[in-house]
Amino acid sequence: MKDVRKDFPILNRTVNGSPLIYLDNAATSQKPKEVVDKIVEYYYKYNSNVHRGIHTLSEESTEMYEGARKLISDFIGADNPREILFTKGTTESLNRIAERWVPANLKRGDVILLSDLEHHSNIIPWQKAAERIGAEINYINTDDNGEITIEEVKKMISDKVKLISISHASNVLGTIVPIKEICKLAHDKGIYVCVDGAQAAPHLKINVQSLGCDFYAFSSHKMLGPMGVGVLWAKEKILKELEPYEYGGGMIDEVSFKNAAWAEIPIRFEAGTPNVSGAVGLGAAVTYLSNIGMDNIRNHEIELSKYLLEGLKEIKGINIIGPREADKRTGLISFYFLNIHSHDIASVLNTLGIAVRSGYHCAMPLHNKLNIPSTVRVSYYIYNTKEELNTLLNGIKKAVDFLS
Amino acid sequence: MHDIKRDEIMDLYKNPHNKGSMNKPTISVSKKNPMCGDEVNLQLKIDNGIITDAKFDGNACSVSIISSSVLTDYIIGKSINEVKKIKKNDLLKLIDMNLSTSRISCASVVFSALQNALEDL
Repeated sequence: MKDVRKDFPILNRTVNGSPLIYLDNAATSQKPKEVVDKIVEYYYKYNSNVHRGIHTLSEESTEMYEGARKLISDFIGADNPREILFTKGTTESLNRIAERWVPANLKRGDVILLSDLEHHSNIIPWQKAAERIGAEINYINTDDNGEITIEEVKKMISDKVKLISISHASNVLGTIVPIKEICKLAHDKGIYVCVDGAQAAPHLKINVQSLGCDFYAFSSHKMLGPMGVGVLWAKEKILKELEPYEYGGGMIDEVSFKNAAWAEIPIRFEAGTPNVSGAVGLGAAVTYLSNIGMDNIRNHEIELSKYLLEGLKEIKGINIIGPREADKRTGLISFYFLNIHSHDIASVLNTLGIAVRSGYHCAMPLHNKLNIPSTVRVSYYIYNTKEELNTLLNGIKKAVDFLS
Repeated sequence: MHDIKRDEIMDLYKNPHNKGSMNKPTISVSKKNPMCGDEVNLQLKIDNGIITDAKFDGNACSVSIISSSVLTDYIIGKSINEVKKIKKNDLLKLIDMNLSTSRISCASVVFSALQNALEDL
């Protein structure tokens, strides 16, 4: 893969006197100059409200906004850009389905199937939605290697299951979930599938049509784009029947003092002034990713995973969680020590300029189920190198010596 | 973290004072760190308005352990009224670790537990 480090100005800074080694990409990625420049260019040259005015700036701004929608639609292999709704992130995307689609399509006694590796944002919206309509929630369990097997999914499917909402990749275990097979199984039984793609869209080549899911949610900021914008993709047929999420300006066809008629999709789902610069920034990010090539990104990450798994295994007392095979993971590895707290490891690493995440990573049920304390999570991306991982490995050894 | 390298502090981390649990505490309170879910349990024995013993336990990081050790040492032998006057900043000064914002929340868990424990007294 070509050297991309020069595209990321933040990588030039130092932290505590050492060059920054940024390994917290599963929380948020850094942004290339191209993305930041695009956002600046939008505000310096084109800033204007979209879908409103007939003046030049408004038309240009609308073109950029809708252009970004098209880029993103192509990036995930959607049938057409009308299926792309801009939200503020994966969390809002999932909440929209739970708030609007669930009450219209599920009834008392129906079951929503989740898995035990979910992030809180793919648990709580469903808990609340289920509570309101009297539906139940069941969980598909990961196996000993941290994987979701089709056999386990089959075991959990019943006539009562109406929706499966599941991560495409785990933010703690790194596990890649077999979405395509799950969708096939589900659709044979008339079950809808919603995919939390927050940890997958930055790493894997996504094609929503070949995956066969009904909903796909992801966030811009984990894939080189700006914060505060994300996507909910859904099949056009579903969107046409879905109640708008918010009501207000821009999403209507006609309004009287008594009632209102909605605009076409996707505009009817974007009430109020949208995050235009965010969408434009995400458009620039997916262009950047496409130019590098998702296959190259994937290969780079597998190589780093292999290298890091080998290196970590050498460290005394370490417990690595998630799949043992590098190619079953996205770009992250979590681990723990029985007698050293993850925050303390992270603190020592921080003194060396290394940024990792420690804690429960918004997946408390998973940690409780595995009966493990909080974990240290190392998550890498296109700009990370083996040299950086060497510094990390030495840092972990130093922390363990110091703390035990 | 350079500060916790100081021998005295590292010694408290490795050999904390008042760690464990007691028989028949007057009051026992558990408190979670909202940032990470780590839990500290604080037990107090109170006789005639004086805290005669204090113990803490739980799965916690170094900052939380050190803070709990220092705070329990500090309150043993003091009256409830004296202890009620302790502010979070007093504790942070006592442990003197130059903590970042995120680690202040680690140090504060035991303080929140103490506040809860004293609420009804």
